[in-house]
Amino acid sequence: MGTPAVEIEELSRVFEPRKKPPVVALDDVSLAIPPGEIHGLLGPNGAGKTTLVKILSTVLLPTSGRARVLGHDVVDETKAVRPLLGIVFGGERGLYWRLTGRQNLAYWGALYKLSARETKARTQQLIERVGLAERADERVETYSRGMKQRLHLARGLVGDATVLFLDEPTTGMDPLAAREFRTLIAELRDEGRTILLATHDMVEAETVCDRVTLIDRGKVVATESPRTLGQVISRFQRIDVEGVDAAVLGEIRALTGVSGVTEADGGARIEVDEEGATRVVLGRLVDAGATSVKTSLPSLEEVYVQLIDDRGLEL
Amino acid sequence: MRAFVAGFGLELRIVRAAPDALIPLVTAPVFALIFLSIVRESGRPDLQADALMAPVLMTLWWIALQNAGNMITGDRWQALLEPLLATPASLASVLLGRIVALTCLGLVSFLEVWAIGELVYGVSIPFEHPVALGLTLLVTALATAGVSVAFAAVFVLTRNAYTFTNSLSYPLYLLGGVLVPVAILPGWIQPVSSVIFMSWSADLLRASLKPSPIDDLWQRLGMVVLLGAISFLIGRALLFHVMQRMRAKGELAAA
Amino acid sequence: MTALATTVNVMHHAFRAGLADYRAIFTWKSWLAGWMVRVIAQVAFFALLGERIGDDQKTFYLLVGNSILVAALTGVFSLNMTTAERWAGTLPLLVASPSSPIIVFSARGSYLAVDGALSALAALFIAGPMFGMDLPWPRVVAVVPLTALVALASYCFGTFLAGIVFRFRSINSLVVLTTHVSLMAACGVNVPLSYYPDALEWFSRVLPVTNGLLAIRGVLDGADPATILGDAALEAVVAVGWMTLALASFNQLASRGRRDGSLDYGA
Repeated sequence: MGTPAVEIEELSRVFEPRKKPPVVALDDVSLAIPPGEIHGLLGPNGAGKTTLVKILSTVLLPTSGRARVLGHDVVDETKAVRPLLGIVFGGERGLYWRLTGRQNLAYWGALYKLSARETKARTQQLIERVGLAERADERVETYSRGMKQRLHLARGLVGDATVLFLDEPTTGMDPLAAREFRTLIAELRDEGRTILLATHDMVEAETVCDRVTLIDRGKVVATESPRTLGQVISRFQRIDVEGVDAAVLGEIRALTGVSGVTEADGGARIEVDEEGATRVVLGRLVDAGATSVKTSLPSLEEVYVQLIDDRGLEL
Repeated sequence: MRAFVAGFGLELRIVRAAPDALIPLVTAPVFALIFLSIVRESGRPDLQADALMAPVLMTLWWIALQNAGNMITGDRWQALLEPLLATPASLASVLLGRIVALTCLGLVSFLEVWAIGELVYGVSIPFEHPVALGLTLLVTALATAGVSVAFAAVFVLTRNAYTFTNSLSYPLYLLGGVLVPVAILPGWIQPVSSVIFMSWSADLLRASLKPSPIDDLWQRLGMVVLLGAISFLIGRALLFHVMQRMRAKGELAAA
Repeated sequence: MTALATTVNVMHHAFRAGLADYRAIFTWKSWLAGWMVRVIAQVAFFALLGERIGDDQKTFYLLVGNSILVAALTGVFSLNMTTAERWAGTLPLLVASPSSPIIVFSARGSYLAVDGALSALAALFIAGPMFGMDLPWPRVVAVVPLTALVALASYCFGTFLAGIVFRFRSINSLVVLTTHVSLMAACGVNVPLSYYPDALEWFSRVLPVTNGLLAIRGVLDGADPATILGDAALEAVVAVGWMTLALASFNQLASRGRRDGSLDYGA
């Protein structure tokens, strides 16, 4: 492997708010992302994803440790780093609402040192690529949320970035738009760009990423292929049930693959941590005449708990 | 009335948390110094009382206009407009209550100019007709709020509060005879001035600081109240119309 | 592209973005009917006090001072830019771009200097004749570049304040308005500098407007060219001084933001 696209070594960041105890946002994070990879940064809100993205984008300094983008240090070599980067974040901010989509892109194009002619051509090309051609000359304030997010992506691409940082880019997008967005991300990888995708959406991480780093409370929990992650997700299931008596629940508790049964007002939640066990449990519940059965995937937090407990076993 | 009181109380609490609305109180004493220095430098100490009253009227109008312009739009952005309209209260009364709270606080500028005049130049306010003075200030604060409700409706209608609030300051100070009596303006402007409540207030304020008796005090005070009330009623009708239109178009919530 | 060409391109686009932003607020019609009417009214408001005092010279003094002050008022609006930037959440993106934030910022707002100069000149040339003031031709032409200089100096001053105020976004409009009235009070707009206490007079000399306004009054009163040029040069020095400080305050802002994490783009 040559120079990694992103190389993070023992990176930490502590915030010291006035009159409040210090907050450790990143704690000794190390990570290397090879060129051309879509790397997921998966964690709940407040896990430190945005802090990491900010440090890599040169707008925040780490408290200790170092980070390099294509071999350039993000603290000291900002002049070399900045032209390589594209930054995209979700939500509605980061755009000039009173300007049109095209004016926004032209402005940022100039800031990324494109010549006047390049700016014009690149702007047009990006507008078409993200599907904003029909509305490009209208003010951003008239755009829908999805359109603003596509404009964000175009903005991130205007400097022809080699490395893209996407921070929750599909926040608030409808499922269809989010799917198109993910297709676009895959295309960008195929063009040879490296992408760091911060998200709290497990399905998103699983579907588009080559590898995923799980981060929680500023620490890296694990770096996995999404296949492993997918196994974890499908292996752990929970079943909420109503209308079965305690005897049946006791019986289920004894089944292999059932990790826990908690009873609560008239119903119970059964947790399963082995592939195949769900089917057995469901069969038993139906036989026992359960009035309501519902299965669901565990939340991200629950997967963490499992991962942290299980680490070193088979992951 | 209840809506009015609720609006009044709400605005007081908002101002306590974020006193931005009262910024003109910071500039009022500076304006007083500017006007005082002009008349003193020109050797006209007889104009000092006029110079002190102008910032008070400017402050009232500025506070009312600036905030009336943003109240409805601000509520709309914070998704407060829909729930507010869904209550049985009258929007115009709530607004009036809120703006009256601000104009009453704006009267503090009277104390400020009094103090700064004394401190810097040793100029005092000649309290020749204190009752007339007090009544004029009070009535002016109310009328200013009434007129602001009308402007608030216009701002929503034209969707350009920013341009308006910036444009309606000095033209009104001029036509309202805030610093210089309307009588000095060209004749053709004077009919316009006479329907502006501020011109009646300004003349009364100046008269109440002069030893000569005030002619027709009650009629003139009544005129200020009347003009303020008419504006409020127009504003209420306009607001109703604007809100109906926004309801029809589904624009009460911000995109 | 050469470094210079790149910088020019950045400034060009930033200027256009600023202008587009401004034109979203003002159309030609609302600029004339709203802003210009207000500006003329403001100048007339002060000039009328001169009439009330009953001294033509005082009327003209107030008229010229308050007309030229308009250039400064507009320039100081550059303070609002940073709030807008903060509201838009674009500042970290700006810092993360390969361009210098101060170049982008100063170019983005420079339409304000142009607008200020135009507004001030319009005020002078409309309100002047309205009050029967004689504007000596062709000497009066020299007022045009001098007004532009005042607008520029005020813009630099506003940009400096923007860098300072940025960290305290809630006081932005307070600073704009107090700066406006302070310039109105302290720059020889309404009374001659000699009327001020000595200390204030010195302070007044390092503010924008003061020296440039003296030069403009010199032009209109037929002062000798050396005095006029001297005052103009001082105004230029003041402009450069504030711009230098603005540069420092923005660099400080960016590096401090990187350290303490105040460059925020979250919702």
